[in-house]
Amino acid sequence: MQPVALFVTCLIDQWHPEIGEAAVRVLQRAGCAVSFPQGQTCCGQATFNDGFWDDARVLGRWFLEVFEDAPAVVTPSGSCAAMVREWYPRLFRDFPALAARACGLAHRTYELSEYLVRVLGVTELGARFPAAVAYHPSCHGLRSLGLREEPLRLLAAVRDLRLVALPRAEECCGFGGFFAVKFSALSGAMLSAKLDAIESSGADVVTATDASCLVHLAGGLARRGSRVRAVHLAEILDAG
Amino acid sequence: MNRDVVLQGIRAALGSLPRPDCPDIPAPRIPADLVVHFIERAQDLGVQVVRIASADEAAGQVAAWCGQRGARRAAVWTHPDLAPIVERLRTRGVDVLSPVAAPETVAGADVGITGADWAVAETATLVLASAPDRPRITSLLPPVHLALLRADRIVPHLPALFARLDALPSALTLITGPSRSADIGLVPVLGAHGPTEVTVLLLTVSRRAPTTAA
Amino acid sequence: MSGQRPSSIDIIGNIERALQDSALQRSLGVALPAFRMQRDAAVAEVPEWEDLRVAAARIKDFALAHLDGLLTRLEAQVTARGGLVHWAADAEAARQIITGLARTRGARRIVKSKSMTTEEIHLNAALQAAGATVVETDLGEYILQLAGEAPSHLIAPAVHKSTAAVAELFSARLGAPRYQRPEDLARVAREALRSDFLAADMGVSGVNFAVAETGTLVIVENEGNARFTTTLPRVHVAVMGIEKVIPRLADLGVFLRLLARSGTGQRASVYVSLLTGPRRAGETDGPEELHLVILDNGRVRLLADPDLREALRCIRCGACQNVCPVFERVGGHAYGAVYGGPIGAVVTPVLEGLGRAGGLPFASTLCGACAEVCPVKIDIPRMLLVLRGRAVRGGYVGRPDRLFARGWTFLMRSPARLRALGRLGRWLQRLVVRRGRIERLPYPWSGWTLHRTAPPLAARPFRDRWASLRQDRGAESRGASRSSRGSLR
Repeated sequence: MQPVALFVTCLIDQWHPEIGEAAVRVLQRAGCAVSFPQGQTCCGQATFNDGFWDDARVLGRWFLEVFEDAPAVVTPSGSCAAMVREWYPRLFRDFPALAARACGLAHRTYELSEYLVRVLGVTELGARFPAAVAYHPSCHGLRSLGLREEPLRLLAAVRDLRLVALPRAEECCGFGGFFAVKFSALSGAMLSAKLDAIESSGADVVTATDASCLVHLAGGLARRGSRVRAVHLAEILDAG
Repeated sequence: MNRDVVLQGIRAALGSLPRPDCPDIPAPRIPADLVVHFIERAQDLGVQVVRIASADEAAGQVAAWCGQRGARRAAVWTHPDLAPIVERLRTRGVDVLSPVAAPETVAGADVGITGADWAVAETATLVLASAPDRPRITSLLPPVHLALLRADRIVPHLPALFARLDALPSALTLITGPSRSADIGLVPVLGAHGPTEVTVLLLTVSRRAPTTAA
Repeated sequence: MSGQRPSSIDIIGNIERALQDSALQRSLGVALPAFRMQRDAAVAEVPEWEDLRVAAARIKDFALAHLDGLLTRLEAQVTARGGLVHWAADAEAARQIITGLARTRGARRIVKSKSMTTEEIHLNAALQAAGATVVETDLGEYILQLAGEAPSHLIAPAVHKSTAAVAELFSARLGAPRYQRPEDLARVAREALRSDFLAADMGVSGVNFAVAETGTLVIVENEGNARFTTTLPRVHVAVMGIEKVIPRLADLGVFLRLLARSGTGQRASVYVSLLTGPRRAGETDGPEELHLVILDNGRVRLLADPDLREALRCIRCGACQNVCPVFERVGGHAYGAVYGGPIGAVVTPVLEGLGRAGGLPFASTLCGACAEVCPVKIDIPRMLLVLRGRAVRGGYVGRPDRLFARGWTFLMRSPARLRALGRLGRWLQRLVVRRGRIERLPYPWSGWTLHRTAPPLAARPFRDRWASLRQDRGAESRGASRSSRGSLR
């Protein structure tokens, strides 16, 4: 049994706990002993991306405390994994003791699909999901973590799932954290293009590794009354 | 004094920055047949390549071309490979301009004829070095540019070109196809400022039977 | 630099206006995807592409680290070839040098080839004030000069203008018939500009690369107007930023292969001119005088900044603009500065100050598409984040943002507070949740619900479900069997 600590993310914790539950079951099925450090809150990405580095450092420090003893941290969010992996070491650059801990943690933190495929070497999880699915590669997972094949290999192993090609798949959906609120019209224009692509793909479901992008997409789909549903990758891998 | 301000600013900015070494240049792949590669890539650009076996044959081709197109005036470099062309054009009554003709005159030529010092296969690029009697405007002002290229002057790629150059002329011009612009409505237009048409006379001299003109 | 302008760039307003401009939306929506496709195809042909990018980044880093030595070497080599080198610490100095040259050489008619550096120093106005006529000769720039507009893209300056708009402009300004076809319009410009070239007594160009080893100025273009500009007038003035110097001629083999494929998706640009000194004895064309103006104008601030220095690697290919989903929708003008798009959002705040341009780094989702295509591997998203951090620390962001960040951090610093916040939120959201979703939120979240619904907080957060979940063994239970939909609403 691989011991892993789940970082569920503040978004999934408060808005979409079912994604967290699915992630836990998927990890268990892949042979992991999952723990949930109760002290966890937010990785600080939202404030960090908005320029509030001092605030992000406060939350990052808390995160370091909470996950200090975790042998591996797995999170169903590419952007939160990227925050810990790519940015914590830099955020604590001028605090040598913390920087060392941040680097250590950075090396043991993974996005869910990345952990399953790259670390455990698991793609077959016995899931069944009878639907046409379009995969939207979330930007941070794609470009910060380099996740291209991993989610697709997991989806390919799901019974009765038909993967459909998403036009201009690698273009950003327009979420971008506070960007979606501050530059609302621009974010809306990007969202609209992404939704057009999703609807033209013939998919019943759009999936991604990041709940934040999916909340944005789901909100857009609901607003236009689309029949397409947004489902997190963890939920598809847990279905059957 | 601006010189000292700028340089001191740079030195202050660099401070005790570590100064890295300069890396080597990655070697591109070399295509199996340079001539074939050059011709294929030239075709992609809409550049016609006419293979010829001797400078005399080039003269015949150019004269025929001028006849077909009704070209009355040609600007031509002074160049040993081009001498037969000049001779033939003159006998055909084409007005061959002096290499030192003024730009206003050269602008009135129907065709500019030059040699090419080198060519790059990867991009079908012609490389022209400026020199006395080999002005820059010959390949620029007339609407058609004809270049005579010897096949053994084709190098595989730019790094190979730069490795072979020993002294640089005042202007080394790399020409890849006809002048173009897509500044209006993103529609590619040829002949934006320079020639609308580029044709290469590719001189492949047979080793067994060298031509007398070459 | 041209002096800190006090007013700040209204990036949010500019973006809203650009989104309303349907002609702009149409032009960019066609142009940029086409550029991207061409770029991807051209890059796919080169198996050693990644090695080239790495080499290019390292050569530029080398050049920047040895900038003082390379620039003095360049100066010595240009001088040895008969050129004259001038140094300009700022835009004002550069303008004085060039207008001085025009005056002393009696140059009244000046032609220019496309140069962002001369845009940056606002050269045209200075030359005109000095009594010269200045004609932009790049077709796109010519159109913009006639229209009285600034370029909006690094390599396609008039990409925001439609064919119909150009026809209208040529008719109004040149008295040309209203041609429908771009080739006819291009011919109108070609003929008008031919006479300008033949009459010009000074040509002003930019520089793409300057080779220190040989004193060679390299100018890359497709139209041939830069060849005209550097060939026909008797005086050629080339203007370069200090970062344009490269060490060796051989390095051009790397940069030229990257530049055209990255920018326009061509295998090579049509014309690359390697100019080494003015015309030589016996030659009948080329300029009699060659002047090189080396410009700093704030670049040393980037050089002195370890976090932002790599922005000086930029070879102005435009690839970052072509892939940017923000740029595709707002164009270059929205950035309110000479350099727009992702790289502009990095350099403008440094060149013009965070007070004026501190908003630019925030106009990005940090999607990273720019860094992925950059031929010199500039990590633009990282630098945007650095600049956001500086904008916050320097006090250039608004009070609501500050309050939100403080509040969020205070609440998230403890799981008990997060729990309490969740409870409060669930109680409050009864006011806005309708049929399982939220259609409208009050300020400051109203921006969200303008374009999308918002999800309500879950009845029980994950942390409260964990205890029961832990009892399960994943192998025996599955999500979709219990929750019928398993989707976000």
